[in-house]
Amino acid sequence: MLEHGVLIVGSGLAGMRAALEVSEDPDLDVALLTKVHPLRSHSGAAQGGIAASLNNSNDEDSWELHMYDTVKGADFLADQNAAEILAREAPENIFELEHWGCAFSRLENGLIAQRRFGGHTQPRAVYAADRTGHALLTVLFEQLFRRGVKVYSEWYALDLVLRDNVCQGVVVYDILTGQIDAIAAKAVLFATGGYGRAFQTTTNAAASTGDGIVMAYRAGIPLEDMEFVQFHPTGLQGSGILLSEAARGEGAHILNAEGRRFMEDYAPERMELAPRDIVARAEQTEIDEGRGVTDKKDSVFMDFSPIGEERIRYALPSVLHLARDFAGIDPLQAPVPIQPTAHYSMGGIPCDVDGMVRLKDQNDTPIVGFYAAGECSCVSVHGANRLGTNSLLEAVVFGRRAGRAIRTAVRDLAPTRIEEGDLQRAVAEVDRLLKGDGPERAGAIRQELREVMMIDCGVFRTRPQLENCLSTLKNLQERYQRIAIDDKGWQFNTDLVEAIELGHMLEYAEVIITGALAREESRGGHFRKDFPTRDDQRWHKHTLAYRTDDGPRLAYADVNMQPQYRDPFPLEERKY
Amino acid sequence: MPKQDFVIERYDPVTERSYEQQFTAEYEPGQTVLDCLNSIKWTQDGTLSFRWSCRHAICGSCAMKVNGRSMLACKTQVTDIVDRGDPIRVAPMGNQKVVKDLVVDISNFLDAFERAETWLQELPDQDPPSREYRTDKEEFDRWSHTATCIHCGACYSDCTVVAADPKFLGPAALAKAYRFVFDSRDSKKHERLEFLSEKHGIWDCTRCFMCIEACPKDVLPMDAIMELRTEAMREGITNNHGSRHSNAFRGGVRKRGRLDEATLPILSAGVRLGAIPELIGYTPGALRLLKSRKLIMAAKRHGANREGRRQVRRIFDEVEAEKARSAVDAEAFAAERSSALMAH
Repeated sequence: MLEHGVLIVGSGLAGMRAALEVSEDPDLDVALLTKVHPLRSHSGAAQGGIAASLNNSNDEDSWELHMYDTVKGADFLADQNAAEILAREAPENIFELEHWGCAFSRLENGLIAQRRFGGHTQPRAVYAADRTGHALLTVLFEQLFRRGVKVYSEWYALDLVLRDNVCQGVVVYDILTGQIDAIAAKAVLFATGGYGRAFQTTTNAAASTGDGIVMAYRAGIPLEDMEFVQFHPTGLQGSGILLSEAARGEGAHILNAEGRRFMEDYAPERMELAPRDIVARAEQTEIDEGRGVTDKKDSVFMDFSPIGEERIRYALPSVLHLARDFAGIDPLQAPVPIQPTAHYSMGGIPCDVDGMVRLKDQNDTPIVGFYAAGECSCVSVHGANRLGTNSLLEAVVFGRRAGRAIRTAVRDLAPTRIEEGDLQRAVAEVDRLLKGDGPERAGAIRQELREVMMIDCGVFRTRPQLENCLSTLKNLQERYQRIAIDDKGWQFNTDLVEAIELGHMLEYAEVIITGALAREESRGGHFRKDFPTRDDQRWHKHTLAYRTDDGPRLAYADVNMQPQYRDPFPLEERKY
Repeated sequence: MPKQDFVIERYDPVTERSYEQQFTAEYEPGQTVLDCLNSIKWTQDGTLSFRWSCRHAICGSCAMKVNGRSMLACKTQVTDIVDRGDPIRVAPMGNQKVVKDLVVDISNFLDAFERAETWLQELPDQDPPSREYRTDKEEFDRWSHTATCIHCGACYSDCTVVAADPKFLGPAALAKAYRFVFDSRDSKKHERLEFLSEKHGIWDCTRCFMCIEACPKDVLPMDAIMELRTEAMREGITNNHGSRHSNAFRGGVRKRGRLDEATLPILSAGVRLGAIPELIGYTPGALRLLKSRKLIMAAKRHGANREGRRQVRRIFDEVEAEKARSAVDAEAFAAERSSALMAH
């Protein structure tokens, strides 16, 4: 049995930022646990930027405008106290990262450069070319190295241990040796990332399998707003690999088979720079109505020619490489076929603005010693749709806040204990998977899951589609009980890890579908063709899904309309 | 769909046995080596282990040897490397201990970054500004390409010096050190250059170009190492074998119009007591040179003829004058720039 004062699970931006904050107190024993090496975390794949109203490229921006854009982008489902903090604390977080050496791109006058981004009314995206996430991940890892924070690299968390709403620690699996153990900790922070891997076409890395979300769910914590999945409009055709929104920020056009900028029909003012959900739906409509491009007619064109070669090379080097290496197309010569791709998970583990996990029930019951930050959490700052450049910002702002809250709280927390019985479920599950000799294969089940989720629970949804999706899922869950894996060994058994991840995907997919089926309206990333408008009367509220043996039980919670430093933004129609 | 044979080098950590195994995978044009490895794992043999995550050359997980060279499996299209129906050979990265199949222990590679302290070290006892530090765009453009390193280890895997000396810092850590040497926010430039000039550092690179070829992100590590050498000498850090060698090389050519192989090792070791063991170490090599009559030649008052020597010296003079001119220009430019920045 291992023990630490504070254990952080997940090593992307939110996890590392929190770990650094906790390590400010030299008396605290903090450790970071991650199933991939920290430098491999998916935060590194973020490309376009991180938002902050610095006013380096103009002088009209303010935190209030940033907050307004965020709330409107969220289709008014964001908690306004959280969106306010996100916008207000953005600049100081950027400067801190810059002081640590982050390689942000610069203006001629030496200040940090900023550019336009979808849904933001001001040029407030701070960036490092088009590899902003990579630059941030690198700088946080450098600081982690410098402070000598203990890292359990390639360790996989299997279960969260709670007793009477008090967190005790985590059951863990050392991928290198195959040993199952437990780490007791007074405070545990989950920063385990999103859940996009359940969809066939996705920008998400293999690691984004919603592990932390499912661990919390299984431990009795409800999941919030899981039906809100963001489909990014500019994934490469086929693979779904992301082409940064920075391309549109720099001026790329999107064209249908007729060569027309069809966004003029959907968002005449903001055109290509409308928020992602709107552009993704416009694309899908064009494709569904037969105006798609290429032989398959399953995509539309992104045309880079309005930007100019020199600027493309300077500001979008990764986009240039990605199109060449993964689609075989040179954007300097030809338009690139793109399609909507599952990108970001708005839903997750419910928590407050200091990262403390709360049930958001009548008493707003806290889970003592359990925190969440980043994509796995639902504060909620993104509501029904996240604006580009707000995810890196959320990870940093709320990772830091959670780290601070833990640093203070942990002094008063009692030591925790993990008992033999706490390991039972994980041990039995690993044993079952290793010994299983049924006819089913994990690869086939995963493939079917991802296909049905993309088709029936994707950009557009209807009741019959969602019902079909749910019954297919139930069948896949049953088949999962009869799988056999090939690798029966203990050391570096990725066959086993992938099978466990599949179990997580099958669990949370059910929550997404159930929430989507119940929510009879269209808001942000959730669009019901049979209920195509927003219904504030019935649905201006957060979904909370509790795990039961018969599937998720749904409850609802109010949206916070009480920012601290200004009046709330009233609900209005969302037009661009 | 076209089919392709793969020969994969495998390692079983339980039996400690290495072996090759052949697979055949179908692929569509545009698919990568990683796509094929996953199709093999998911439909043929789930015991095959390898690391991967992002699929688009940013997480750095899937570096491995493909047909003998280190590269990212996710960035390598099958159609680009198929050759007359030969199987594609896949093996784990080099210069690192294999854990299982294509998975290697990267701790030695990562330790180099820690040894080189590749993180920003600000001025002590000085609060940072309330906003950002201003960074000259020219300066940023000078080092920003080295900040694109994804720590995949492909350069380290193919480095011919790491193969001979596992303590060599390696191309990636040195390229990262370059960035901090030229980052005006860092306060440890001189100390860094002193450390990098020690054994296992910049002077041990053999300039074989392997790192430049292996790097999937165009970091150009070897070029960075060469610039670090120049910068270290400019900072007066010359009490080491590498810079003495460089100076002796230059001095010899300047003086005689050609390279003097006989005096080069003596001057590189340095005219000092501590150099004696190193010089004794050269004896076998020197004897071999004597035997093949190369040292006899060197011992003669050899060199280019008088006209040739004059020509060589003129080249030196011109290059040095040009360097002096551009240094003055650069200084003036920098002064102008910083006063402009202050004025802002």
